[in-house]
Amino acid sequence: MIDSTVVELSRWQFAVTALYHYLFVPLTLGLSFFIAAVETVYVTTGKAIYREMAEFWAKLFVVNMALGIATGLTMEFEFGTNWSFYSGFVGDIFGAPLAIEGLMAFFMESTFVGLMIFGWKRLSKVQHLLVTYLVAFGTNLSALWILIANSFMQDPVGAKFNPVTMRMELDSFSSLIFSHDAQAKFVHTSIAGYVTAAIFVTGISAYYMYRNRHMAMARRSFRMAALFGVLATAGVITLGDALGFVGGQAQPSKLAAMEAMWQTEPAPAAFNVIAWPSQDQKRNLFEVQVPYVLTPLLTHTMTQEIPGVDWIEADAAKRIANGIPAVAALKVLSKDPTNVDALAQFNSHQKDLGYGFLVKRYAPDQDVEKATPADIQKAANDAVPNVFAMFWSFRVMVGLGLAMLAYFVLAVIFSVRNDVENRKWFLRLAPWMIPIPFIANEFGWLTAEIGRQPWTVYGLLPTWMSASSHSVGYMVFSLIGFVTLYTVFIVIEMTLMVKFIRKGPSSHGHGDHAPPRPALGGRAAAVAMMRKED
Amino acid sequence: MKTLLQFLIYMLLAVVAIVMGVILGDYGSWYFAWFVGTAMIVLVAAAGGAWMDAHDGTVDESEPAGH
Repeated sequence: MIDSTVVELSRWQFAVTALYHYLFVPLTLGLSFFIAAVETVYVTTGKAIYREMAEFWAKLFVVNMALGIATGLTMEFEFGTNWSFYSGFVGDIFGAPLAIEGLMAFFMESTFVGLMIFGWKRLSKVQHLLVTYLVAFGTNLSALWILIANSFMQDPVGAKFNPVTMRMELDSFSSLIFSHDAQAKFVHTSIAGYVTAAIFVTGISAYYMYRNRHMAMARRSFRMAALFGVLATAGVITLGDALGFVGGQAQPSKLAAMEAMWQTEPAPAAFNVIAWPSQDQKRNLFEVQVPYVLTPLLTHTMTQEIPGVDWIEADAAKRIANGIPAVAALKVLSKDPTNVDALAQFNSHQKDLGYGFLVKRYAPDQDVEKATPADIQKAANDAVPNVFAMFWSFRVMVGLGLAMLAYFVLAVIFSVRNDVENRKWFLRLAPWMIPIPFIANEFGWLTAEIGRQPWTVYGLLPTWMSASSHSVGYMVFSLIGFVTLYTVFIVIEMTLMVKFIRKGPSSHGHGDHAPPRPALGGRAAAVAMMRKED
Repeated sequence: MKTLLQFLIYMLLAVVAIVMGVILGDYGSWYFAWFVGTAMIVLVAAAGGAWMDAHDGTVDESEPAGH
């Protein structure tokens, strides 16, 4: 059996690299479409300021994208180096979307980003706009294929286990790409990127407005990003609800942990607004509940029962007992693939094969047939993810999402009234909002990935079986290396971003200090300033 | 001839859009929602920029001096 410390270190390494990588990705996803929106105005109105805006935001986009690619590449190798059993077990399914991502989306994105940056003088306005849209679509299609691969880990549809090859094999490509989890997760993640970009743009624009610099660009960028952001935030919340609904059907253990629901309650169940869950005592040490809210929130009905942790553990114990004959049959088939009895035994128990694997770590000599009821209960307890981490990760994400919605509503109101420059408190607040979507995104990923435990592929392959058999020293050394390298990348990104932001747009409004601000609500004066700047 | 060609190209685009809409609507409703939603978000943001220039300019012209 693989050393549990190595498995934990492998998990930490992947978590750290994924979380670092995910600091760059959402901004790339969203900023690409924001630039496309800016350039659309440039092409339709012909105003030079919009081209300068597009060029300025594209500069920040490229810095972010380059570092996003650099941090993402290592993860693809990690599957092979640190998760070799996993890669062998589901490589046929998992590899296809990753390859498509590399061949189709990544090449498309990388090719056209060059044209986007260097093609201003070589392409017509419309051609350049088309290129910008292709960059935006390519960027988001990259995310699509990665998320399809991830969704297979959350809800493994479109594949079946072959007991002769001992591997999962792709059964239906369309089921894989059109899985409900993949769809909801892609849209939720992609639009969360739009929110990130909108906060980034409004934050920097507010910084300029507060300092009375680059006013023509800042006002327009702020207005556009506020509208972009308010719609995107509404979309993220809608899709978050959809993802909860879809995920709840496929992964009841994730849902029970996310809501700290220890006991199955009759519908409609109460919603824990805040709680202090204790995994050892299997109860909340403290909780504030709103009655009748959880059931309609999660199931969109008033009558459907939501399984609690007690149900998850009882169901897991039954499935482990049913999965043990499948694992035993597999052992026979590994020596004699033609054994008809073993094949029949496997076929009648194969739906719980993964649960049979779950007890292997507790069974004497890792022989599942020797597993005692106590071993089965231990494995069944493992079927529930870390409730405290899940409960609070989810609530941090949702809380920050609602805060961002309130922020964008105010941003739109102030911008539409041409009043934002007089709201100094808001201009001061906006740059401090920039980290908020990044934090929300990270907690979203933590919710998704911690909630999948103890599986790498939900219900099929336990995490403890998936890792490679490295030494602890190797894992510690490489983990420290990645943390150091990625911290350097973050510092480089921040340095370049701050440098370009301080410098501002290249030509227009070079330090264009605006004339004195208009009186509160003086729209005519604001318009006059805009014209002067143009 | 040029008008006819343009008409045929736009017709083809419309047919492709409808077919994609039907397929995605049936099998990938959230993917379809992403297409429509992204188009809406981008266009509303773009309209916000154009509005800032065009609409506010009109208001300025129509308002009395010294307002």
